[in-house]
Amino acid sequence: MSDKGNNSPISGEEGSAKREVSAGLMQYSPENLMPFGPVHPALHEPEYFKLILEGEVIVDAIPRIGFVHRGIERAAQDRTWIKNIYLFERICGICSFAHSLSYVQAIEGILQFEVPKRARYIRVIVAELERIHSHMLWLGLVGYWTGFDTLFMWIWKDREHVLDLIEAITGNRVHKSYNTISGVRKDLPENISEPIKREMAYIQDRIRYYRDLVSREETLVVRTRGIGKIDAETARKLCPVGPLLRSTGIARDVRTEDPYAAYDEIVPEVKTSSQGDVASLLTLRADEVLESCRLILLALEKMPSGPTKLTAPRSVPKGENAFHVEAPRGELFYYIRSPGGITPERVKIRTPTMANVLTATSMLKGYTLADVPVVLTGMDPCFGCMDRISVFEVDKEKQWSVRGEDLRQYGISHYKTKKL
Amino acid sequence: MDALEVVEILVFPGLTFFVWLAFVFEWLDRKTTARMQGRIGPMLAGPRGILQPVADFFKLTSKEEIVPQFSDKLVFEWGPPFFFAAPAIGTIFIPVVGLNAIVSSPYDLLFILFVLAFSTLMAGMLGYASAGRFSTISIGRLVLQYASFEIPLLLAIVSPAVAAGNLSISGIVQAQSNFHWFVFVVPIGFAVFIVSSLAELEKPPFDIPDAKTEIAAGWMTEFSARPLAYVKLTESLSYVFLSALAASLFLGGTAGPVLTNVTILQDGIYLAYFLIKVFAIGFAIFAIKTALARVRINQAANLFWTVLTPLSLLQLGIVILLR
Amino acid sequence: MVENDASEDSKKGMKVGGALGEMFRTAFQRPITKKYPFGAAQVAERFRGKLDIDPVKCTGCGVCEAVCPASVIQMVHTGTRKVGTREIETKRPTFDLYTCISCGQCVDDCRFEALRLTHEFELATVDKKSLVMDKALKVVN
Ligand code: SF4
Ligand code: SF4
Repeated sequence: MSDKGNNSPISGEEGSAKREVSAGLMQYSPENLMPFGPVHPALHEPEYFKLILEGEVIVDAIPRIGFVHRGIERAAQDRTWIKNIYLFERICGICSFAHSLSYVQAIEGILQFEVPKRARYIRVIVAELERIHSHMLWLGLVGYWTGFDTLFMWIWKDREHVLDLIEAITGNRVHKSYNTISGVRKDLPENISEPIKREMAYIQDRIRYYRDLVSREETLVVRTRGIGKIDAETARKLCPVGPLLRSTGIARDVRTEDPYAAYDEIVPEVKTSSQGDVASLLTLRADEVLESCRLILLALEKMPSGPTKLTAPRSVPKGENAFHVEAPRGELFYYIRSPGGITPERVKIRTPTMANVLTATSMLKGYTLADVPVVLTGMDPCFGCMDRISVFEVDKEKQWSVRGEDLRQYGISHYKTKKL
Repeated sequence: MDALEVVEILVFPGLTFFVWLAFVFEWLDRKTTARMQGRIGPMLAGPRGILQPVADFFKLTSKEEIVPQFSDKLVFEWGPPFFFAAPAIGTIFIPVVGLNAIVSSPYDLLFILFVLAFSTLMAGMLGYASAGRFSTISIGRLVLQYASFEIPLLLAIVSPAVAAGNLSISGIVQAQSNFHWFVFVVPIGFAVFIVSSLAELEKPPFDIPDAKTEIAAGWMTEFSARPLAYVKLTESLSYVFLSALAASLFLGGTAGPVLTNVTILQDGIYLAYFLIKVFAIGFAIFAIKTALARVRINQAANLFWTVLTPLSLLQLGIVILLR
Repeated sequence: MVENDASEDSKKGMKVGGALGEMFRTAFQRPITKKYPFGAAQVAERFRGKLDIDPVKCTGCGVCEAVCPASVIQMVHTGTRKVGTREIETKRPTFDLYTCISCGQCVDDCRFEALRLTHEFELATVDKKSLVMDKALKVVN
């Protein structure tokens, strides 16, 4: 099905599925409000989207974030630099390595450490393995969201191979706990290059098959092509990051623009796609997996020998630093300020989902309810990383912070008045 | 009506037999789908988990029943047995042993159509009675989907009847003895029937009314415990019912290609033919539903109106001309 | 910058049920599901499981307490020890392993190699107390 000649018996209608809807926040009654979340089979994390419907067409979508806010930025201020590595890893299970990588590199910047070359190569390998498993997770979930459970099961089945590799290298499948200030905690295990090469060949083979399948299986294509379309112009305005941005044809990737770890020597090819819809996100992510496989093999080949870490001091001198890495979902940004001691004074984290959520929500307008899971999750959301909370009274334009105890009291009284 | 007939209707080859067949079907569905997806599927209850659907049913019936505050209590609580009754009644028109069904009239097919429509109507009523947001949206989709697949389904059912010159299912089965199966006479009708039954059964690619990633469980969202157990059982019973219907209308039902006139165990052979055909159709449906993604409601309507309806009309025309 | 050309994809032609072949192939392969807990689960060589301490090697230096990110470790006074003429308090760590995140930081930082992470991971229990490890206290030094 190309853009002009539409001869598919299933999709029928000429052009895209998008319909024009009246702009602006319209008056809506509770009847045409459809809750999407916080508990919903399509969302694996709690987040609430108010969808205003007209029949099946979405007129407006309003995100309401903050359900899993954990106060991690604040918690970090009470912990030492080393302890924080493990804390930040737990911001997100999927991109845990990207979080710790960004954090430790920010510290290494303040300390002005020259990280051993071997450690930098190992970081590239683990980061790319993580990208593969994250992208495969998403590719499988697209199958789940569009009701194609078989694709979901297959891709996740193959994803196990990557997770096993990660476990063999770092000791755990999810929370890798592999980075430390000044390097990585352990060298690669012996005889790992053989399994890595074998699994990479397998993954490349499978991903090529899936890429072909998702671009040719008609029932899947009519659900994804032309859906959640965003053009480069809008993308520039709304500032999404990562694959969502690259799918509109804008080639931005932190790995090439501001190389960290060993990306100055193992240069990735930035994949883009011009369509900006979910279908192109599918092929784009598949392409990125293939590219990651190439990078891993390249890093393995070029890997120098030497130490993998230095001895890091317990305290960090006064100073501040910001660092960004290309997490699987896009640019992940860390800002840290050290008062010159064993704990940070402030850590600010901008996760990719935070940058993407508005884009994805605004992309919903005009599509039907059936497209919501695909469009909304096209950015590969990670709401746990994203949640922020701030309390303000709109009429008084007043803003303040609440303590945990107050929140608890509020919750108790709220439920008492509702007699729950 | 004598005692034997009552036993036939209630036990074998009537209701109880079909309910057990439904359980086996659900197990087969879960098992084959699992294997095609690289999983194991049910494995604990009974040998290879064959009793899992039964266990699920009894577990559901023993759970606490939650009735939503704003629901229509009467329909919500008493609707499921009626919903269950639709395919249950439909099954007695299908010959299982011998070439004659337990009940057979010259107007079987009209009744079957009524049963199919009634089951959709009941689903709609149950959904509206539960008064949930997801249910309401789901009913809209259900009705639209029904409106689109009914015509092709009807025409697909009519074409073998025209070929046989008979509206009774037993008559159609008898017309197909001696390997004169209607699947060779009306192949397009058969294909249309299979696709439409996927829509009737709300299976992928037409599981639009209960698309779980969009509207949770659709019109079933608010159901729990006993009503849910009935609804689930009805779903698998409809599965069996439609497969049996397809087997009877197009594949000759109990009539087999060989061994049609042995004296001993004739009934057993009839039953074996019937089961083989029903499971064959079942497997075809499992495979189709495992291989496809869910389409949007407008795409489904498009497919039925622009492709399947003309095809089934064409088929009907061909059959009428051939006769 | 490499464009993935969508028009090239659409040229290949669409089909319905493209997954069927692979489906039947998968159906006759061994399922990927591991039959855990009916069969043993395999973990990698480096797997970080339950923490274990060698009470003999532990000197009670307290480094592990300082580095643990999950506040698993408390140092407990166990008595006194004579060094020359001075009396020094001896301490030993106890581990509330129910909060342990198995990060292995304590293992890395223990200079006396008293700690290690085992491959044991079946830690679910109804009694939280059973996950308190105070082996080190019981050794008389
Ligand atoms: S376990 Fe190791 S680090 Fe902890 S107190 Fe004993 S010797 Fe010190
Ligand atoms: S493994 Fe980590 S969490 Fe557990 S006791 Fe050691 S430092 Fe603490």
